[in-house]
Amino acid sequence: MRDVKLKPTHQQQEEEDEEENLSSSSLSVKSTPEIEKKYVHRVYDAIAPHFSSTRYAKWPRVAAFLESLPPGSVILDAGCGNGKYLGLNPNCFFIGCDISDPLIRICSEKGQEVLVADAVNLPYRDGFGDAAISIAVLHHLSTEERRKSAVEELVRVVKPGGFVLITVWAAEQEDKTLLTKWTPLSPKYVEEWVGPGSPMNSPRMRNNPCFGLESIPESDVSVKEQKEDEKSLESIPESDESSTREGMKMMNQQEYFVPWHLPYHRAEVSGASASALASGLAKKDDRKGAVVYKRYYHVFSEGELERLASGVGNAMIVDRFYDKSNWCIVLQKEGLNKDH
Amino acid sequence: MRLITHNMLSCNIKGVTNGFPLKIEAEKVIEKEVDFNPDFLRHMFAKIEWKALAEAARSMGYAELPDDSPDAAVIESADETFLRKLHHALLELHLEEGALVCPETGRKFPVNKGIPNMLLHEDEV
Repeated sequence: MRDVKLKPTHQQQEEEDEEENLSSSSLSVKSTPEIEKKYVHRVYDAIAPHFSSTRYAKWPRVAAFLESLPPGSVILDAGCGNGKYLGLNPNCFFIGCDISDPLIRICSEKGQEVLVADAVNLPYRDGFGDAAISIAVLHHLSTEERRKSAVEELVRVVKPGGFVLITVWAAEQEDKTLLTKWTPLSPKYVEEWVGPGSPMNSPRMRNNPCFGLESIPESDVSVKEQKEDEKSLESIPESDESSTREGMKMMNQQEYFVPWHLPYHRAEVSGASASALASGLAKKDDRKGAVVYKRYYHVFSEGELERLASGVGNAMIVDRFYDKSNWCIVLQKEGLNKDH
Repeated sequence: MRLITHNMLSCNIKGVTNGFPLKIEAEKVIEKEVDFNPDFLRHMFAKIEWKALAEAARSMGYAELPDDSPDAAVIESADETFLRKLHHALLELHLEEGALVCPETGRKFPVNKGIPNMLLHEDEV
């Protein structure tokens, strides 16, 4: 009797690997990609209280939008984070959701009406909201299909004639020094994790020997904290890294890891950092006394948010603006009849 | 979770066409007073699915709402008795612990410390 071969042949292994690649690319648009699980969800869960403590300044443009809504409006905040905007207009009723349970608990402790849900797939019936907002959310979605899905959801859940405000980080940052503190994703990451439609995911980019950044520089600081530490501009030890950075910028780089520095005393309280460090998702910076997390961002180029929204059939763009390094758009859902 | 939110929630598992309303399994219900705002309640009356609200309130131990939707006239009238009941059901009852159950699949979405978790598993999207 022949022994049964337990180890796959080289050919079989190759086929299995290919299948795995194929199956991950044929995942539903509503499935969360690995890059978002590791570099968005886990990060926010780990940093929630610290993150929340830094999120208190109300952006005037968002406040103005919320204050312009009629009294009694039901306002849906998809990706509400620490609930900064919930209840901002005291005459309206806010319902917030976020994918991060720790952040939602922070909202709940403030007495807000919130739930844990996915902005790409809202568990809401159609047309209930009078308005909806998505503030600094879509740039954490790693494929164009998912970003479009999130816009469609925002439109779906508001009533005919209802307004939707969306803001996202711009590739065109007012403070250009910030970009030096962000780590652009290498083509290797893009190929594995970012979906089709990314300008990074072209054969020319992938085959270019210039690009191969694997390591994350130690001295990045978070966007919020960079003002406290002017000297932290990173020194680039090798000349080819510097030219690589320039090369990246020229290539309309939009995929980044943006650091978040979680102070050690905060990390100990949270407890999540031990496993994040062990699995390599975060690194220690003893000089700063912080655990450094990487957050995934797809920053938007000029016109991109409009193009995305234009693809949603039953909504019109009624306002568009650039403010504080963010691209912003206001949509109105169609179907308003004269009686409203 | 208040019933105003429950009236909006729907099971979004792939393929489900009849995910609303979610049945409530109430383990812990509390009441929190909210300021009475009749204009807001009239605005909400147009949005809510009445039967879903009445049944949900019943699951939470409040049986004062009629099963069938009242006439608009009752809502518009100056008599606030009815509106006070709507106010109590919609805004003052909180499901603190329990579950929301999909009517089509039976899938349970947990509610802990007043927060529903509506996230789907990989095989449900």
